[in-house]
Order: sequence, then C-alpha cells, then structure tokens
Amino acid sequence: MEFNEFFVLGMKLLGAGMAMLGAIGAGVGVGIAASGGVQAMGRNPDAAPIIQTNMILGMAFAEAVAIYALAVALIIIFAT
Amino acid sequence: MSDTKPKKRFHVKTLLILLLVAAGAYAAFWGPSILKPVNPVVVLPGEHTGLSLFGLEITNTMLATLLADVILIVMGFSAWRFAKSGQLVPKGFVNAFEAIVEFLWNSIESSAGAKWGRRIMPVVATIFLLIFVANMVKLVPGFESIGWMEESPHGEGYAAVQLIPGVYTIDKTQPVTLEHAEGEEATHTEGEAPCQACEVVPWFRGSATDLNFTIALAVITVVMTQVYGVWALGPGYFSKFMPFKELVSGNPFGIINFAVGFLEIILEFAKILSFAFRLFGNIFAGALLLSIIGALLPIVIPPVLYIFEVFFGIIQAYVFFLLAVVFISGALVSHSDHGEEHH
Repeated sequence: MEFNEFFVLGMKLLGAGMAMLGAIGAGVGVGIAASGGVQAMGRNPDAAPIIQTNMILGMAFAEAVAIYALAVALIIIFAT
Repeated sequence: MSDTKPKKRFHVKTLLILLLVAAGAYAAFWGPSILKPVNPVVVLPGEHTGLSLFGLEITNTMLATLLADVILIVMGFSAWRFAKSGQLVPKGFVNAFEAIVEFLWNSIESSAGAKWGRRIMPVVATIFLLIFVANMVKLVPGFESIGWMEESPHGEGYAAVQLIPGVYTIDKTQPVTLEHAEGEEATHTEGEAPCQACEVVPWFRGSATDLNFTIALAVITVVMTQVYGVWALGPGYFSKFMPFKELVSGNPFGIINFAVGFLEIILEFAKILSFAFRLFGNIFAGALLLSIIGALLPIVIPPVLYIFEVFFGIIQAYVFFLLAVVFISGALVSHSDHGEEHH
C-alpha cells in the first residue's frame, strides 16, 4: 500500500510525540522521590547530605525511563 | 541617614530590573526589526565551522569543548601554582575551586572509601569538572548565536542586513524562500550580502548538545568501571558476567544465575545509553526550551529559565559524576561474596 509522503511525515511526528508518553512515569517517579527525600530531611535534618545524595541517585534512575523514551523519539524523527 | 541608605539602593536595583524588562519589551515588540527574536532552528548534529585538522572537519561543538578544556587547564594551572606557593589560606577563585574539589572528595569517600576513593578520584572528578565547565561556558551570551552566515540547506531563511561593514544579522520580518535550493551558488562579492536565504552557523555550540561528546564520556566511564573492577578483584571480576561456577555448583538455580550473567552484560551497554542520553537530553532540551520560549515570549521568562539552566548544568554534571562513582564502587566489591551472604 502506498502512502502519501506528508502522511508518513505526520505519522512520524505523531509517533515521536506518543513515544514521549513514557515521560509521564518518570515524572511521577521523580516527584515521589523528591517528596520522600524532603520529608526525610524534614524529620532528620542531620542526615540531609546522605539523603540528598541517595535522592538524586534515585531521581537519576527514575529519569532513565524518560531518557529511553527521548532516545526512541529522536530515532523516530531523525534516523528513519 | 543610615536607615535610608539601603532603601535607596533597593530602589536602584528595582529600577534597573524594570529598565531591563522595558528594554527587552522594546526590542521584542516595538524596536527595529533586526532586534526581534528569530524562530528557532533545531539542528541535532554539530555543524561544521569550516575549519579542519588533518582532514577532520571540526564542528562547533568540538570548538566549544576545546574552549572548556582550555578554561579547565587554566583553572588547574592556577590551583597548582597556588599549591606550590605554600600559602595555606586560599582566596577568591582558588577558594571556590578548593570548595568544589572538597565536595567531590567527600562524596567519593562516602561511597568508595578513602583507599579506593584516592584511586578513582582522578577519573570521575575530571569528568565532573569537564561537564561542569562545558555546561557553564555554554550559557555565555554569544554562544549559539554568533557565527558564519550561510545559505540555509532547506532553502528557507532570512534576509541578511548589514550592521557595520563585514558584519551582518538576520531579519525576522524578511523571510526568504528560495525556489531552487540546490544548484544555485551564492555569489560572493565585496560589500554584498553573503547569502540570500540565510542561516547562522554558530562558532560555538554547547558541547553536551552533541551526542558525540556525551557518548564518549559514557564509554570512558563504563570502560573505566571494568578497569577498576579488574584492578580490585583480578580476573575473577569477569565471573560476574560469565558465572561458570554457578553451573557446576549443583545449585538448581545455577542455570538461572548463569543467565543473569548475560543480563549483566546487557546492563553494561544500557549504562552507556542512559549515561549519554541523560546528559544530552537534559542539556539539549534546555537549549531548545530557551530558544523556543525566547521566540514566543521574549520578556521576563527567559532570564528565569536561564537561572534554571545554570542549576541544571550543575545538577547534570553532579548526577553524571555520582552515577560514575556508584557504578565504579559497585564494581570494586566481589559479586560472589555478596551472593553467598544471602544463601
């Protein structure tokens, strides 16, 4: 089946946008990590440095999902 | 008298900020058309600056990385000169540098210990400082906006306007669309605009907006992880990837543990991917956001985003550094010892 060139282009952009839906989960995860970290620091301010380090680490891992979504979106737009 | 003095200064600051906002609004809405912000152009790979070294085309991101390198070398040299001078109390710039290094050392020591921290410090701290300096240098005004004026490859661009002889700018209100984008050579003559449908190819672009930079750093980090693992555990380090011992141990889950070894290999490659795309994605998205918001609403909001960019530049450098430290110190511990504790 032959598709219109512009139709394919539009679908590509739509697909890239839909690939970025994966960022929802990462956003929720980072939010939960920040909330937990701030609560812990409020209860125990002495342990703030180590909590902060681990919180940033957890946020970085949660963010990785959004990073993969971004990679897929960029591949859809630029590499196909 | 003394009460009114701080008040006066406060008003001066407020006036200054209001003046700057007014100047921004004037440039964006009422001023001459050359001051208006142009629509952003999204370019993923680094653009060629026209320079080349032994047949290797030098892109603008490479130039920016070189600039960051030079700044870093000067920083390191001044710190070395201070350490050699024998003074004990650092001042000014060296003080800030010492604070950064001390902060790095504390976070390395807390996760790798003093003995191994001393050995992994040079690699991870260099990576942190390079990303940090590259991200800060990228925010200097003139980066990503000053460069050669070239014919746009899509045939769509803006007309060139001469400011002073030899210096041109592009004008948003004069978009040009070329009918024949290819086959038409731009005629270079003295005193004439360098192109018809123009696009600015900047001399410098943030290093981390190029995937080559981030992937190189990620590959270095992951390879150094293996190097430190072998240094700490000897050849036994590779039993993490190919646990043949598990197969012959008679444990019924041995075959599953053997398959987990292959997952570890995949995990190492996933580390490269996530390292590289995390840094690239954050910095590229930040640069894109700045240019798009700058074109849509060029008053008040871009400065706030700019401060955000400074913050993200530091945080991303720190995250890269922290993950490198955690992965390397994870590779220093024997895998099989850890497993035996549980069973």
